[in-house]
Amino acid sequence: MVNLTIDGKQITTSKTSTIYEAAKENGIYIPVLCYAKKLLPYGACRVCLVEVEQMKGRLIPSCTTPVTEGMVITTMTDEIRKVRKTVLEFLLVNHVVDCPVCDKGGECDLQDLSYDYEVVTNRFEGEKFDLPKDEVNPLIERNMNRCVLCGKCVRVCDEVVGYGSYSFINRGFETKIATAFDRGLDCEFCGQCVSMCPVGAILPRPFKFKARPWQLKEVDSVCGYCGNGCTVTLGVKDNQVETIRFNDETGVNDGNLCIRGRFGYSYINSDQRLTKPLIRKNGELKEASWDDALKAAAKGLKEAGDQVGILSGARLSNEELFLMKNVAKALGTENLDHSGGESYKGVTEGLFETLGVKASSATFPQVENANAILAIRSDFYETHPVFGMVINQAIRRNDAKLSVIADKFGKLSKLPNARTLIHKPGMELNLLNALCHTLIDEGLAKTEGVDGLDDLKAGLKDYSAETVAAAVGGDAEKIKETARDLAKAENAAIVLAYGLPYTAYSKEIATAAANLALLTGIAGREGSGLYLCGEKANSQGAIDLGILPGNNGLGAQQMLAAAGEGELKALYLVGEDPLASYPDKALVETALEKTFLIVQDIFLSASAEKADVVFPAGSFAEKDGTFTNAERRIQRLRAGIKSPGEAKTDYEILQLMLKEFDAAAPATPAEAFTALAAETAGYKDVSIDKIGAHGFVWGGETLQPAKKQLVAVSGADAPEGDYQLLVGSALYHSGTVSVHAKGPMAVVSEPYIELGRDDAAALNIEDGDKIKLKAANGEIQAKAKVDRRLPKGVFFTPYHFAELQLNSIYTGQAAIAVQPAKV
Amino acid sequence: MSETAEKLKILICTGTGGLASGAADVVAAFEAEFDKHNVAGKIGSACDVNGTGCRGLCANDVLVDVCLPGQDAVTYDFVTADLVPQIVEEHILGNEPVAKKVAGKYYHEFLDKQERVVFSRCGTIDAESLDDFLDHKGFDGIKKAVTMTQDEVVDEVKKAGLRGRGGGGFPTGMKWGFAKGSPGDHKYLICNADEGDPGAFMDRSILEGDPYGLIEGMMIAAYAIGCKFAYVYVRAEYPLAIKRLQMAIDTCYEKGFLGENCLGLDFKLDMRIKAGAGAFVCGEETALMASIEGHRGMSRPRPPFPAVRGLWGKPTNINNVETYANVSYIFYNGAEWYSSIGTENTKGTKIFALTGKVKHTGLVEVPAGITMREVIYDVCGGILNNRKFKAVQAGGPSGGCLPSEAIDAEVDYDSLIKAGAMMGSGGLVVMDETTCMVDIARFFLNFTRVESCGKCIPCRIGLKIMLEILERITSGQGQEGDIEMLQDMAYDIKKSSLCGLGQTAPNPVLSTIRYFRDEYETHIKEKECPSHSCKELLHFRVIEDKCKKCGLCPRVCPVDAIEWEKGQVARIDLDKCTKCTSCYDACRFMAIE
Repeated sequence: MVNLTIDGKQITTSKTSTIYEAAKENGIYIPVLCYAKKLLPYGACRVCLVEVEQMKGRLIPSCTTPVTEGMVITTMTDEIRKVRKTVLEFLLVNHVVDCPVCDKGGECDLQDLSYDYEVVTNRFEGEKFDLPKDEVNPLIERNMNRCVLCGKCVRVCDEVVGYGSYSFINRGFETKIATAFDRGLDCEFCGQCVSMCPVGAILPRPFKFKARPWQLKEVDSVCGYCGNGCTVTLGVKDNQVETIRFNDETGVNDGNLCIRGRFGYSYINSDQRLTKPLIRKNGELKEASWDDALKAAAKGLKEAGDQVGILSGARLSNEELFLMKNVAKALGTENLDHSGGESYKGVTEGLFETLGVKASSATFPQVENANAILAIRSDFYETHPVFGMVINQAIRRNDAKLSVIADKFGKLSKLPNARTLIHKPGMELNLLNALCHTLIDEGLAKTEGVDGLDDLKAGLKDYSAETVAAAVGGDAEKIKETARDLAKAENAAIVLAYGLPYTAYSKEIATAAANLALLTGIAGREGSGLYLCGEKANSQGAIDLGILPGNNGLGAQQMLAAAGEGELKALYLVGEDPLASYPDKALVETALEKTFLIVQDIFLSASAEKADVVFPAGSFAEKDGTFTNAERRIQRLRAGIKSPGEAKTDYEILQLMLKEFDAAAPATPAEAFTALAAETAGYKDVSIDKIGAHGFVWGGETLQPAKKQLVAVSGADAPEGDYQLLVGSALYHSGTVSVHAKGPMAVVSEPYIELGRDDAAALNIEDGDKIKLKAANGEIQAKAKVDRRLPKGVFFTPYHFAELQLNSIYTGQAAIAVQPAKV
Repeated sequence: MSETAEKLKILICTGTGGLASGAADVVAAFEAEFDKHNVAGKIGSACDVNGTGCRGLCANDVLVDVCLPGQDAVTYDFVTADLVPQIVEEHILGNEPVAKKVAGKYYHEFLDKQERVVFSRCGTIDAESLDDFLDHKGFDGIKKAVTMTQDEVVDEVKKAGLRGRGGGGFPTGMKWGFAKGSPGDHKYLICNADEGDPGAFMDRSILEGDPYGLIEGMMIAAYAIGCKFAYVYVRAEYPLAIKRLQMAIDTCYEKGFLGENCLGLDFKLDMRIKAGAGAFVCGEETALMASIEGHRGMSRPRPPFPAVRGLWGKPTNINNVETYANVSYIFYNGAEWYSSIGTENTKGTKIFALTGKVKHTGLVEVPAGITMREVIYDVCGGILNNRKFKAVQAGGPSGGCLPSEAIDAEVDYDSLIKAGAMMGSGGLVVMDETTCMVDIARFFLNFTRVESCGKCIPCRIGLKIMLEILERITSGQGQEGDIEMLQDMAYDIKKSSLCGLGQTAPNPVLSTIRYFRDEYETHIKEKECPSHSCKELLHFRVIEDKCKKCGLCPRVCPVDAIEWEKGQVARIDLDKCTKCTSCYDACRFMAIE
């Protein structure tokens, strides 16, 4: 700690603080333009200059100068005021000052400072900037005529996002921010630059002329897309979500978002939303009253007796999931499941059998201090971009060593000094086994208190780094280095995402990862963690609440199979579109056709079109309740708007359903939370008021394993055939909801099949050509995307687009053997 | 340069200045003549033709020393290849120096008041020869340093009183002490050879003339601080310097003088050249480090200082070329010897690069404490064409102008600052009565404005506005209050800029206002340029009583706008005149205004 004096006030602060931070902590205001909490000190704007008695002769930038013992600081004198005002006058000489039509008006730092310092007239004169605007992309507008060159966009894109879209170009007065070759912006479109810009130079285009900032009601909620659980602050006007506001005070994401979180909100306002219940009459879905729809649904379910099944999505709130469980109870069925039933087994079975828990062992912010990180699958950045940014920060700030087990190259493999352990499709397991083998072989394994070592050793005997490297087409030395990095790191993290497109070996991969976490000592160690991250916003909540088949119940795949064979009479789909997203379309199609089908969704999905009764449901923006994210953080959802038309939130609909079956339901989500907390492991001590600005992490920052049981798992065989198709997630989309959102669709609007340059050349396919992939049980067609990500013989396609009919050939395999051809 | 030779030696300046004047041809001519006449056979000794570093008097290049065995060297200036056969025939073979071509008295006067310490090897040894270097005390300094502890080496430099020659004048020993004291075993050493001030070429000459000397100085620093990796950041506009230094580094590696076990003295040092990319601001240490790291050359805030967090976040010591070059000599001759040269607060010698309206432009190395007047008049022979001295700009674009009443200031860090200039890296631009001081301020500000990295607002925008005001004044659009506005802005910019570039950029404006305010006022109030230099304020009128009716001006006028008849005063037809100023420049009598 350091003692100093600011404006006569005695202050004690951490020795790593800057003058600005020390002042801020103590309620002393110093203006800033280029400072940002999450970025490295920069010191460009000179607005935060103060006087330091020990550093006389010049003014000292408070935002970059560390405090030292005994410093005596004055934050305002006539001289300081004058110099700051001069700086502002300089800025306003060439700035276009078009505040009346600037979307930043009202929350612009330059505007506010000019007001504070009464820059009424300007002693200096000069020509106004007349630089071309960048309006090439539909999401981010760049108007460099308003730029103050604080460099926040350049810095955030490099330091946090790790993309590096921007740079300064030119020198002196001609300096400006530009992209490579000064072309239009073409990037991840995460919009971090938008959120950082202190003026109106970088703005979200969808928000243009939508509202003045002060007209917006700000509602803090949680993003409805992935399991990262980012805080999104809805900017609401006239019952419309007009934008997502910057908020680095709440939640776990430090104000960072991805394209989905920042620009993917527009599906909420879509005119395609279901606004009325529908009932199938004479083979057609017709609008109906709630009363009739509920009655019809209840009738169908009652007729089916206990031959019913409920399939849920993982984007429902905990409270809604709780009610759904009660619906299942009321129906007297244990046929309850979510998210395809297979993909999450890494958590429910893999982790449970090894560590005795069903969740990630640590929290995201801890990864920033990691020394070594292992990402299983390069797609981790695609599924959990904001967590990916934390990994980037660990590398840049903490020199963390990142290794990626990857079947293709991706963003993660491009991060500084990243080591990519490339492998043939579906062979992640083999590499994980090889890592464990190396640890044991080199005597690096931490085996104290760990059970099953001998069995594991026996199981791993064929998985030496050399053998595996040869089998997967990798490099043995890289495997060994990775194992050593993980073993010697004080803080280490293993990250793995799960979800519908990653069902193959889900249990086995998690088991092998848990073995590795045990042998490296990561499991349960403070500062380290094994992260299994669900694809959907409340994947963890669904597991915590047990939206799983009961002892005598059927899982998702079994339910569909049973339905196809006529053994299940009715299916109730809540927030799930299996026809579009589940593997094995034929199985799903038969099941949906043969049963009495209730679908509860916000859009008339492919599955809903087959339904007998459709309930129009609410989006996350319309809900109160809680989500539990992939690090066990329970966070509050707050309704920003009312559902359109007669649509109701899933909570309300499930309440009504319970009523149909004369079952009780808590009146409000808050009451439901109290009820669910009482019967959910880990939630017992949580009450709604304990969920603060940063949520509540059940089980604590570090979740201790209940046991330490090594379990040997066999690796996979190398895939046969010349060409393999990988299925996965694309960065710009999440599940099947984002295809209704303008933002993501503006960047990736249609399905594609990605392939490497070598294959493209061999097949005579160019970017944008139509390509056909023939598999054993069908074929798909889409535009080709040619790049350098994919190894030879490997194709990739994202699973978000129903029109691709990917699940006609995808049945949950690790890789699909295909025959490609140009169409 | 006199040194009694044992064998026949021809020393030819092959610095950039020499080469530009044709030194390569001169070297070839000597070699050809020697072959032709079998000089070696006739003299009975080997004859070396050595390309040396800069000799200082660049204005008179190519300089050639002819050293006959047992005799004092004879210096020729303005040597061309055509002259070589005559020198060989008459002087070398005939033992009769070519009297008409031998450098005149001025050459000895030029050397008299100098004290060539750092330059002692420049111009005497073959710049590319390690053996020659070793014959001239080479690597004795580092060998002595390693017999001392690291702290003792730092103390020796402190005792010598060496201060940074890059311009700031920070005590070198203290700087090394900071870097040595920083925790961590991974430290970097950097040599700043991004010499960018207009009219400064001291560092270039050292790099070209004594590259091994620099390497030795850096070795001593690396040993003292505990650095295992050194960078020399040389501006890419110095191809010869880069070539010679790279050659020297390569040779050192070959001989094991650099690398795992330097000179077998049991310490490790790797050295690499990083060529700059043409940005003046990269001479600023934090921008330089950003540039080495591969980032855009932009300054970073200090603290943290490089000694704590420098290159790639590691403790780093950064000094200028001349500073390191000085270090070797401290260890050859001892701190006491070193501190006996100079003044109380400025020890040793300082190299200046003189350019502008001075007779003998070139490089001079003088002991600190000598006055500016002595440098200009005694060493460099005074003002060109015997015009009137007006001012000398010291310290480049960061420095200031000293008028005639201030040139008795001593060459000393503190005296120069007191006088309103600064030592800077050592560029001295001499100006005579035809130089307009407002225009000079404009020139330097234009330079810094263009070279600003654009990061901080005062430097990026403030300098441009200052420049616009100066441009307005020099074009006759000056307004009442402009001077005060300039002073006021200059104050704010100096106070608020991020790095040395912005903090010092207004200095030329402030110092010219301080000493030549009347010139500013004449520009603004009378719309006249007293020096007849600002083009837009020239009248292109012949002053009748000054005109000597010589008829020179009509001959140089490219558009026949001047009417003149023998015995008549010339007259300029303004309808035809294109204001090219050819007549003004040509007139010896200042008869055109």
